[in-house]
Amino acid sequence: MPPILEVKDLTVRFAGGPALERVSFTIEKEEIIAVIGPNGSGKTTLLKAVLGLVPFQGEVRVFARPVRQVLSQVGYVPQRFAFDPTFPLTVEEFINLTCRTPEKLPAGGVLDEVGMAGFKGKLIGELSGGQLQRVLLAHALLHRPRILFLDEATSGIDIEGLSDFYSTIHRLNREHGVTIIMVSHEISMVYKFTDRIICLNRDLISHGETRTALTREVLKKLYGDSADLKDHDHG
Amino acid sequence: MVELLQLPFMQRALIAGLVLGILLAYLGIFVTLRKMAFFSDGVAHAALAGAAIGLLTRFSPLVSALLFSMLLAVLIYWLEKKSSLSSDAIIGILFTSGMALGIVLISLRKGYQPELIGYLFGNILAIRSQDLALIVVLAVLIMAFIIRNRRKLTLLALDREMAYMAGINPDFYQLLLYVMLACALVLGIRVLGVILVSAILIIPVSTARLLSRSFKALVLWTTAIAESIMIGGLLLSYYLNLPSGAVIVLTGSTVFSLTFIAYSLRRHSRSQRP
Repeated sequence: MPPILEVKDLTVRFAGGPALERVSFTIEKEEIIAVIGPNGSGKTTLLKAVLGLVPFQGEVRVFARPVRQVLSQVGYVPQRFAFDPTFPLTVEEFINLTCRTPEKLPAGGVLDEVGMAGFKGKLIGELSGGQLQRVLLAHALLHRPRILFLDEATSGIDIEGLSDFYSTIHRLNREHGVTIIMVSHEISMVYKFTDRIICLNRDLISHGETRTALTREVLKKLYGDSADLKDHDHG
Repeated sequence: MVELLQLPFMQRALIAGLVLGILLAYLGIFVTLRKMAFFSDGVAHAALAGAAIGLLTRFSPLVSALLFSMLLAVLIYWLEKKSSLSSDAIIGILFTSGMALGIVLISLRKGYQPELIGYLFGNILAIRSQDLALIVVLAVLIMAFIIRNRRKLTLLALDREMAYMAGINPDFYQLLLYVMLACALVLGIRVLGVILVSAILIIPVSTARLLSRSFKALVLWTTAIAESIMIGGLLLSYYLNLPSGAVIVLTGSTVFSLTFIAYSLRRHSRSQRP
């Protein structure tokens, strides 16, 4: 079976200098993978390059094909949704925008999965940060992706909602076999819920099983002397 | 009123107003969502150069303005992609240069230039049959394209990355939106003129936003408001014997102002409730 994701010598350069330098890794199994690193370490850039949203050098293959050819099997929840909050668009209308046949893929199904079924008629601009993230997750799940990219998708979610969010992600992976690649700052959640970890600081610092790769030494290398498994959560 | 509707120039004016009202107002939804008001204003002003070329060469000013503005839209798109200049800077330079070129070209013709006034301020009552035919055909084609691709255009206007992830080619549809918008604006110039045409893009959708609780409602309100403004403004201008383009815009801004006051009062009274 071909790898789910194969990244070879991925380099991204912006006007200000390199954002990623020769990053290589492979994801073979349907697991939950966290991408961690300090601010400006290239986490978001890595996701965007893999998805084809920014130009890059190197090679990226998703299900052994260029990502543009398999976009229907890929879901993505962005870090920020640059949306005019005064625009009148209901949650249901928003979900249906991505769907060619809304009658076959009713928005209610995916909204129910993320605990937002009662919000169909609510305006997107009236949602809280956490509710919006859940709707964006539902949007990404509409076409039943085989691989899901989450870029700090828990920003705006309160502590109570955080655990629910990670439980949803966990269930998607374990019950539906969706590979999850998530950028996160919540180190304790990462430690608890993810199978593998990619530690970035413009280049690849460490890559492997979370329990073995996420050591105090790696955290110190990423975040400095004050870093600890318990105290680095931003959420 | 019935007699008025039997006048051929009024019939042409009403058909042009209704067709362009719906087209420009619908495009206005994407224009306001993507914050493209300056693009619209810029292309409309620069189209004066295209009209001037038509006047000088005795070719149809409407057709030459259409070609010129579509070319300009492609140029703006290309410069936005290839240069490090901001979109505002690109549009600002091309907009003023196009307008200046138009004024210089028109000044090359001797004597009084009534066409210049017509293009600057519009004259819906002076639309000729052949211009009306071109307006209707192009407007129907653009509307058909927008309705067929409304899902893609809305998603692109909302978020470019999301559109890409949905399998939409954002560059292609952005270019098409630019070209169609340029084309629609030039058609609208015959009604409202270079200076006022952006009003019908912005006012109906801005008013509709205050009244809508869904995207579907926004589309319905926007088109209904645009058509009411067009017909109301046109009839008012006729009975008051005032310039039609300016009266249509003033009718629109009055409708917006009244809606905004009612909306603000309603919000205020709601916030006062315990």
